[in-house]
Amino acid sequence: MRAIVSAPLVLAAVLTATTPGVSYAEMPKAVRVGIDVDAGTLDPRLARDTTAFRANDLIYDGLVQLSQDLKPVPDIAESWDNPAPTVWVFHLRKGVKFHDGAPLTAEDVVFTYRSIIDPKFNAPYRALVTPVASVDAIDASTVKFTLEVPYAPLLSYLDVGIVPKALVEGGRDIALKPIGTGPMKLAAWQRGASIKLEANADYWAGAPAAKTIELVVIGDNTARAQAFEAGDLDLIQSPLSPQDIKRLQADRRFVPTVQAGLGITYLNLNTADPILADPKMRRALAMLIDQKTIVGKIYEGVDQAATSILLPSSWAYSPEIKQPDFDPEGARALLASLGWKVSNGDGLLRKDGKPLKLTIATHSEDPNRVQAVEFMQAVMKQAGIQAEIQISDWPSFSTGYVQQGKHQVALLGWLNLVDPDRVSYGQLHTDGSLNWGKYANPALDALLDAGRQSLDLPGRQAAYRGAARVIADELPYYVLSYQGYQRFHNPKLGELQVNPRGYLRALVAPAK
Amino acid sequence: MLSYVGQRLVLLIPTAAGMVVVTFCLLLLIPGDPAAMLLGPEASPEAIQRLRTALGLDASWYMRLGDYVLRLAQGDMGMSLFQNEPVSTVIFSRLGATVELAVVALLLASIAGIALGVAAASRQGTMIDVGAMLLAQLGVSMPIYWLGILLALFFSVHLGWLPAIGRGAPLPDALLAAVTGEPEVFVNFLSHLFLPALALGANAAAVISRLVRASMLEVLSEDFVRTAHSKGLRPHRVIFAHVLRNALLPVISMIGLRFGALLGGAVLTESIFGWPGLGQLTIAAISQRDLPLIQGITLTFAILFALVNLAVDLIYAAVDPRIRLGGVP
Repeated sequence: MRAIVSAPLVLAAVLTATTPGVSYAEMPKAVRVGIDVDAGTLDPRLARDTTAFRANDLIYDGLVQLSQDLKPVPDIAESWDNPAPTVWVFHLRKGVKFHDGAPLTAEDVVFTYRSIIDPKFNAPYRALVTPVASVDAIDASTVKFTLEVPYAPLLSYLDVGIVPKALVEGGRDIALKPIGTGPMKLAAWQRGASIKLEANADYWAGAPAAKTIELVVIGDNTARAQAFEAGDLDLIQSPLSPQDIKRLQADRRFVPTVQAGLGITYLNLNTADPILADPKMRRALAMLIDQKTIVGKIYEGVDQAATSILLPSSWAYSPEIKQPDFDPEGARALLASLGWKVSNGDGLLRKDGKPLKLTIATHSEDPNRVQAVEFMQAVMKQAGIQAEIQISDWPSFSTGYVQQGKHQVALLGWLNLVDPDRVSYGQLHTDGSLNWGKYANPALDALLDAGRQSLDLPGRQAAYRGAARVIADELPYYVLSYQGYQRFHNPKLGELQVNPRGYLRALVAPAK
Repeated sequence: MLSYVGQRLVLLIPTAAGMVVVTFCLLLLIPGDPAAMLLGPEASPEAIQRLRTALGLDASWYMRLGDYVLRLAQGDMGMSLFQNEPVSTVIFSRLGATVELAVVALLLASIAGIALGVAAASRQGTMIDVGAMLLAQLGVSMPIYWLGILLALFFSVHLGWLPAIGRGAPLPDALLAAVTGEPEVFVNFLSHLFLPALALGANAAAVISRLVRASMLEVLSEDFVRTAHSKGLRPHRVIFAHVLRNALLPVISMIGLRFGALLGGAVLTESIFGWPGLGQLTIAAISQRDLPLIQGITLTFAILFALVNLAVDLIYAAVDPRIRLGGVP
């Protein structure tokens, strides 16, 4: 496979990627954006929360950028070619400077990616680039990636910001004082309160129209929506509460964007748990999930009922792959075939005299997830399962519980699913770093490997459809919903291009 | 007097030490690993273990506690795990905003509470009394969180009078601007402060007004009040010069106690109104399991609370000469 991108095409692609469809003069000088959490770090190599991704996207440039429809388009890399299935060569844009005036060279790109693939550096992104064997500079503006095996999703993952080698090696803590080549520079960061960015007048694509962008942290969804309605914020976006979304959609003062997002909400069924080890048991439980009511009533239709692990917007999606439907009678019959029957008058299912106990857990920060778990508990109780719920705050739930594999059934989500690989390999491959439910299936492993290594789209499509079918059948994950993406902005910002990841480059189109 | 203040300040040390130990133990009990939070879900177990060792989280709890107390004795609160800055620096950068909010809320609560209580007691049984106590009932019953959202909805979203989030210039800067001919800076400061202070102070105002009313009614029935009336003093003078002065004594200590609740309430208020103070920092620190920072903030709140109570005791003595501050009570 060989892909050479010509210069005019590159320019067109970059402009498409960074320009909204409005006259830039309309963009106000200071833009305030509401966010739900503070960034954990402003070192793009270590970023793992949505705010960090969104802020870093403004401060840094990646080798590529993902366009609105998630296609890799040139950013720092002006073009690239793929002389062999395991070799990618990137030609860097000339004249790109870091915020301190130092030029960006191939050495900075090499340094950034070598640190990401170094196990000691603990970059969250490492799992996504493990097939990369080496990264080398051919000359000052050419970088070569050599892979151990062909790796199709690679380009989609090369949007990590490039950091300045000399400064980082000199001891600058870019996690707190970032220096990138992106359109905005960090002006001030009040932890837990706001991240203030100012325009990089020397940006290679032209000085941004907005002079400052302030990301203001308002943890409560409703309070954030109110601050937007009161005019204190110019733009808010997911996560938002369904009730607020309905109200804002009806308000003609604002420009609404409500569309499919890049996230799923799912149940992680721990296959290492003695009760859940049997796929038939997982199927019976899936048949007890009233997905339509949860998505329709609790999420008020803002999210969409999911059919499989593949997002409907993905090239891999197929409507024919389906998880089991809500079917309490069928579930009861299946449970009976597994030996779980009501043996005395209390209505509880028992096997060998022991009741069927199950704990469903989620985290307290998301009231809709808490409600969904409570509803599932009620339905399961009706079916004779002694269902308990466990709600704890995110750090306890994630690091102290699910990631330790202590759960039975856990409700949580995945975001930023730019490629089907992003929601399957780490999560459900036997050796996956995020396989908290210890699912092991050689057939699925083979399909996920094929999905990574096929370099043609039909081959990848077939692999991921096969994988999705196995998952919908075996149910280590039950995908509850496809998350929607919502954004509301003040009309004074003009018509902004939509980025389903919530990235804000549309705000920094060059000034005219 | 000075020796009394000195002794009270010395007493702060065991109070703070108790606080440190209790907070430390509570943090040991809550699940959630700071190293795993720092490294994210994709980190390998070995990497998490390496970081745990580097952060000293592996050592036994008594070694960690001993180490923390030793450092604290030297004025070192440790380093924030997520901000890579000394905890004291992080806290000091946010302390002003919270103190400003809490003090103004307390001031508002005291003025409103005393006014309501006096109005109710001096017109006992009338519609004014019923109205004032109904208002107090509302103030006591409404959670800060809910009231904050309602206030922003009404004053910011519907009326558009006041900003829903953020903070204006810090108090000293705002005052300076007001006297140097930039009143708009001061107005901006007030407009940002009003709603959060109102939400935060409403509960305290309600509690204070009930206490003022009860205390006034008690004093009103005493002989010296009858004497004052029979001497022909004007009712206003009787209320303010005789009754209120005596009725306020329990109220002053109540105001001191409410300050602790205000600091707790500030955590919620700040997160609703995007107020960049210690409360917002507390939520961020807890959700990241930034243990040194959580310990530092708790200790700061405890010391603040103790200092305010000391100030209240001093005011108490100034108001009532019968109280002597000769020794530690």
